[in-house]
Amino acid sequence: MTALTIEKIHVHCEHCGDLCGQEKVVWHSHYFCCQGCQTVYELLHENELNTYYQLESKPGINRKHLPGSQKYTYLAHPDIMAPLFDFQDTHLAKITLFIPAIHCSSCIWLLENLHRLHEGILHAHVDFPKKKVSITFQMEQLTLRALVELLSTLGYEPEINLATKAIQKTRTDTGLILKIGIAGFCFGNTMLLSLPEYLDAQALISPEYKQFFGYLNLLLAVPVFFYSASDYFMSAWKGLRQRFFNIDVPIALGIIVLFTRSVFEIISGTGAGYIDSLTGLVFFLLIGKWYQSKTYQALSYDRDYQSYFPVAVTVIDRGEEKSVPLQQVQVGDQLLVRHQEIIPADAILLEGDALIDYSFVTGESVPMKKDANDLVYAGGRQIGSSMQIEVQKPVSNSYLTQLWNQEVFRKEPDSKVSSLVNAVSKYFTWGILALSMVTAVFWFFTDSTLIMKTVTSVLIVACPCALALAAPFTFGHTIRLFGKFGLYLKNAEAIEKMAKADQLVFDKTGTITHTNTHYAVFVGKRLTDYEACLLASVVRNSLHPLSQIIYRTLPVNSATYHPENFNEVPGQGICALVDGKEVQLGSDVFVLGEKQGEPGSTKVYVKIDGMVKGYYSLENTYRTHFPQVMRILRKDYKTHLLSGDNDREKEKLTPYFSELHFDQSPVDKLQYLQHLEEQGAYPAMIGDGLNDAGALKQSKLGIAIADQVYHFSPACDAILHAIQFSRLPTYLQFSKTSMRIVKTAFGLSFLYNLVGLSFAVSGLLTPLVAAILMPLSSVSIVGFITLAVNIKARSLFKKPDKNQFFS
Amino acid sequence: MSALYLLIGISLFVAVSFLIAFLWASGSGQYEDDYTPSVRILFDEKLQEKPDQQTKELNQITE
Amino acid sequence: MASNLVKTSEDPDKQLQKAHLETFYYDNTIVRLFAGATTIWGLIGMLVGLTAALQLVFPALNFELEFITFGRIRPLHTNAVIFAFVGNGIFTGVYYSLQRLCKARMYSDVLSRINFWGWQLIILSAVITLPLGFTTSKEYAELEWPIDIAITIIWVVFGWNMFATILKRRERHLYVAIWFYIATFVTVAVLHLVNSFELPVSFMKSYSWYAGVQDALVQWWYGHNAVAFFLTTPYLGLMYYFVPKAANRPVYSYRLSIIHFWALIFIYIWAGPHHLLYNALPDWVQSLGVVFSIMLIAPSWGGMLNGLLTLRGAWDKVREDPILKFMVVAITAYGMATFEGPMLSLKNVNAIAHFTDWIVAHVHVGGLGWNGFLTFGMLYYLVPRLYNTRLYSIKLANAHFWIGTMGIIFYALPMYWAGFTQSLMWKEFTKEGLLAYPNFLETVTQIRPMYALRAGGGALYITGVIIMMFNLIKTTMTGTFQREEKAQAVALSKVYQDPKGEHWHRRIFERRPVALLFWSLIAILIGGLVEMIPTFLIKSNVPTISSVKPYTPLELQGRDLYIREGCNNCHSQMVRPFRSETERYGEYAKAGEFVYDHPFLWGSKRTGPDLLRVGAKYPDSWHFHHMLDPESMSPGSIMPPYPWMFEKVLDTTQTANKINAMRVLGVPYPTGYENQANADLRQQAQKIAENLKESGIEIKADKEIVALIAYLQRLGTDIKVTGGK
Repeated sequence: MTALTIEKIHVHCEHCGDLCGQEKVVWHSHYFCCQGCQTVYELLHENELNTYYQLESKPGINRKHLPGSQKYTYLAHPDIMAPLFDFQDTHLAKITLFIPAIHCSSCIWLLENLHRLHEGILHAHVDFPKKKVSITFQMEQLTLRALVELLSTLGYEPEINLATKAIQKTRTDTGLILKIGIAGFCFGNTMLLSLPEYLDAQALISPEYKQFFGYLNLLLAVPVFFYSASDYFMSAWKGLRQRFFNIDVPIALGIIVLFTRSVFEIISGTGAGYIDSLTGLVFFLLIGKWYQSKTYQALSYDRDYQSYFPVAVTVIDRGEEKSVPLQQVQVGDQLLVRHQEIIPADAILLEGDALIDYSFVTGESVPMKKDANDLVYAGGRQIGSSMQIEVQKPVSNSYLTQLWNQEVFRKEPDSKVSSLVNAVSKYFTWGILALSMVTAVFWFFTDSTLIMKTVTSVLIVACPCALALAAPFTFGHTIRLFGKFGLYLKNAEAIEKMAKADQLVFDKTGTITHTNTHYAVFVGKRLTDYEACLLASVVRNSLHPLSQIIYRTLPVNSATYHPENFNEVPGQGICALVDGKEVQLGSDVFVLGEKQGEPGSTKVYVKIDGMVKGYYSLENTYRTHFPQVMRILRKDYKTHLLSGDNDREKEKLTPYFSELHFDQSPVDKLQYLQHLEEQGAYPAMIGDGLNDAGALKQSKLGIAIADQVYHFSPACDAILHAIQFSRLPTYLQFSKTSMRIVKTAFGLSFLYNLVGLSFAVSGLLTPLVAAILMPLSSVSIVGFITLAVNIKARSLFKKPDKNQFFS
Repeated sequence: MSALYLLIGISLFVAVSFLIAFLWASGSGQYEDDYTPSVRILFDEKLQEKPDQQTKELNQITE
Repeated sequence: MASNLVKTSEDPDKQLQKAHLETFYYDNTIVRLFAGATTIWGLIGMLVGLTAALQLVFPALNFELEFITFGRIRPLHTNAVIFAFVGNGIFTGVYYSLQRLCKARMYSDVLSRINFWGWQLIILSAVITLPLGFTTSKEYAELEWPIDIAITIIWVVFGWNMFATILKRRERHLYVAIWFYIATFVTVAVLHLVNSFELPVSFMKSYSWYAGVQDALVQWWYGHNAVAFFLTTPYLGLMYYFVPKAANRPVYSYRLSIIHFWALIFIYIWAGPHHLLYNALPDWVQSLGVVFSIMLIAPSWGGMLNGLLTLRGAWDKVREDPILKFMVVAITAYGMATFEGPMLSLKNVNAIAHFTDWIVAHVHVGGLGWNGFLTFGMLYYLVPRLYNTRLYSIKLANAHFWIGTMGIIFYALPMYWAGFTQSLMWKEFTKEGLLAYPNFLETVTQIRPMYALRAGGGALYITGVIIMMFNLIKTTMTGTFQREEKAQAVALSKVYQDPKGEHWHRRIFERRPVALLFWSLIAILIGGLVEMIPTFLIKSNVPTISSVKPYTPLELQGRDLYIREGCNNCHSQMVRPFRSETERYGEYAKAGEFVYDHPFLWGSKRTGPDLLRVGAKYPDSWHFHHMLDPESMSPGSIMPPYPWMFEKVLDTTQTANKINAMRVLGVPYPTGYENQANADLRQQAQKIAENLKESGIEIKADKEIVALIAYLQRLGTDIKVTGGK
């Protein structure tokens, strides 16, 4: 096809698949959206790594926003490197990096073929579910910095921060898997060896077999009892020490009785014991545990500001720059903060054009201009040129970070076990003990020889296997279901909390609005295409976020001219000469020369060829379906808004919230939540930024909203994929549904227990009955739950979205 | 039926030996990552697109 | 901490070399050799099968030649397709995939070659010895003791080669397929050792160590697990490798595949006894087999679904690609077979299906569908890659697929039909409470057309194979064979942080799979021995029946002829406790009757009637005529004549050895009896000869037929035969 036709139709970048816009680059008859993409493509091409593009079509990561060349200088610093390595000696080093960008088989392939790009790299191994790659490389040939930069150029920018190591520590519990394996193995085999018993074998099986099988069974039971079941004993013991009957008490009791009685029967030759029931019980229980412990390995739910702050900063010491680990920064240090870098501590601006984006810290949506000697707060992101600042407060108690000194961040997380289950199990346990007492007394008067038999039978049958399975499986299903639709829960407790929540507290910027994306409405005489072209040609050359927002509102490919004597006055505006016409845009003062009042609102005035055309007014864009969502939620919940931003959109928002508060500091938010809880409310906080961290932590249930779930989000109980915001009511509703399902399942399992107990108290419990009842109840309960959850889910959720990575 | 002792015994030993194998596998982190390996096996035969001189020779020698 | 552990473990320079990117070459020659063998033996084995099938329709096709009578070539067919076709198929797939999964060349080309040529020699010896009548009569283990030893050696060579390769692998993770290969090796080794436990009488003649019921138990423990671990686990391994490769997409759920493997491996080994339902075996042993067969559905179907779902969203691919088509049908057949199997193990189903052609249909769905089609898919995938070219003709491959599929259908359906029909006829009673078809022959002539159809199905299937061979040969011509395939990978370095830190199992097993396997094998063997001791010490507690006496020398010789001619391939010696059977054959079998049967001869298929109670049922002359010309006694019979038994003189040189051997195995022949055995033998033979003379038949007493008649007339006469006429 001819170049012309390609211009017409939208071409997608050969590397990343994005639409090719202005910066389109053509190389070897391939089109690229930007220089970055083209470079990577060329690099891979030269090194015969084209397979990258064959495995998946256009798998690359967009390279428009390359990290600053200086970004990784700090990685040369030994104090910083040392903790990052898994292993290090004079020649070799092994490091495991978390790379959020890993998303397809091409990624795996390329990263595992890194050695073809640089001989210094010996071996790279990807763990896709965890989005990690471990790289072994030779220090002489390749520095850590060079390695990380290589990865970044390829688009696989690793996330390195002070919390990195901590995050790496979180691993799946192989201990549990082992326990299940052993239990499962012994279950299968004991069942086999007990089979003769089931068929009332007296007639069929000769005594020496009976014994032989009995002892084999015993042998198989030992590892299950002492290893696989150990957790239950411990947790039961813990419970008892706190004078509290948790669900594991009756379970542990049952297991112990099962085991001891079986041992007695087999050794004394009086019976075959209940080994098969024992192993089966433990096996099913562990399965439940495992199923519930579904975790999203690539996500982390307990990050603090350290994960957001840089690992190191550039200190200017007698005119020379050197990078210093963040911990070593002291009050009075002079720091250099470059474009897109984050201010690590409250400081005073010494020199440079400071344009600081606080959206993630305060919720203030529009970047702020700062002048020399102004105070700049930690967490702000510098935009444009670089600046010098002098540290005023230690990193750990700046305006933002002191939030983490609040005691809420020190308090232990509340108990893991479902409170509902515990509540039930308390009565349950007492009931069982009472019943066994009664049985004992009854048989004492009728036939005292049967006391032991019946009492133990009671304890065996009462063992609440089905009961203990109900919650894990319901929650396990729910977690998976939510994950499929973009809500990633930290653990099963979160569901229960969701169900309990009665008030919803929202943050504004980035939560109900799109993160720093604004919508610019032009107020004034409509611009002609020509004027649009002039304007576009100017704003295109500006880094300022506002310029970029305006640029987006202008027709595509309209930046046709090259502006002359382009001059951007930071915090003021731009003026340039385009096609002979003078174009000015910026603040009222800059363009009109006079202040226009109306505080709060952000306006960008436009003046072309000496004529004021009007102004762009910048407004937040709210998340899709925001009004509908709120309308639904207001029915069942009291809704609050806590915004760090000013109140210029107050009237717009009042209809959706019962209470609105603006200009909230992070600590304000935290205290607001505390206040709510003191009033006996059970609030859930929905937020995104660091400034919500306190509130998220303080609230009973913290839901963090994120556009890219793998990137930074503050500590919380659940991470919600931003595009799924509209499903919020559904999630909340479903959490209630699943609690109902759990309760129904409890009911069922009680019935089973009654049946079993009726056998037990009457002294009719044979190994066969036990062996049938126990799996039957468990299986049917699990079956019921699975069915219930799926049916409910079908009615509540529509088809899952394509862009979900978990299923 | 003494052959049953033999069969059960042997079967048990086989089973147990595999249990041990299982303990080793999950203990030594074989199943830490239960997805990537299934993708990894699809990556090979990359080098046979254009066999270099050495390979050609090797193939001639044995031809 | 792992790091300083590493530092001390070895000096950095060594690590450097270890960690370097290594270039190496995959050995494709061995793969080509095995692939060739697979196709050739496959064709031969299937042709033998076809002949056997035709013989059931046209007995004349036995050509009165002892070497190709049904009784002798049926075991040849089973051995050829199982050990030659599937066996070589396994090696093909393993030698190809293992190298790539381990990112390493096979440990030793020499071992590879020994493995190949050794295996082919074993097959060749089978092809020679089975038609000659050298057989142990134990199904799928017919080969005599010297060959058994050879098999053991070659199998060990294979294992050695495999584990050594795994040890020097460059990819730390063992892909699930490799686990299936390991399981195959270990279990098949154990099964073979235990079941081949036999006492040699002479070169190419041995008696099974176990007697009667116990022998049956061991045999079917082996028989089932042979299917499980020779026809299933290795092919599951191949499925988990070749299906994703052919579809170029990862397996649907890798986690599921891992669970699939361990679940299967933990319980598969137990499912044997269901082959002996309603036989003289304790009830609970049977039921136990049933339960575990049922339990097996779960893992089996887990595997099937995982295989099929791998192709979800790629059905368009499946439509074009014959390779995927073959694999889809293979997996589906696996699903059907693994569902039918447990169903067949249900007592009431088994009561109908056992001894009938239903079983034949069942195993062929598995054999032709699962093993056959997966092998074909694999070959179509491999050959073009080995020759670095394209498949010669997709059209032909598709033709093969459709013809093959038709073949399977035309094979299975008639057999199912035949199975039902015959079984129902056996069980049908008239109002008066008499058997509706008292003459077994009626039930045979009834299903003969089905046999004809079946042969047609087989022929179709074979046509497909021939098309494939042509297609593949053409393919090899278009390309150049890549003997050495270049590959690069980094050696596993010791620079490795254990995921869970220090653990006992890590310290013991980390990266030492061979040590692990070696020890567990030792454990198995020691355990085996320990477990065997009771078999010799503890007195067998099968209720002995005083009236049951050892066979006379002549009968013993006759029994060995019965085994030589493979009579047990068509005639059972197991009357089950059903009225239909006791009415037809007589008193049902008691465990105690078989205490002197080394080996047991219960059989597994009734193409002809059961013979347990045939003794004293007919006069000697009847047997004489019947063996010489079956049609003369029972017109329309499809049993072949055995003229050579009337020519050959019975070989009595081994009589003494046989008596001694039997005594070693616990048969109470008085000491020194071996010396007068031949005398007794001649005496009894003489009596039979005279007996025949009275009915006007002239036959020398030293002919083989006399011994056979002696044995047949003894059958089941030890306990009073009630009922049965």
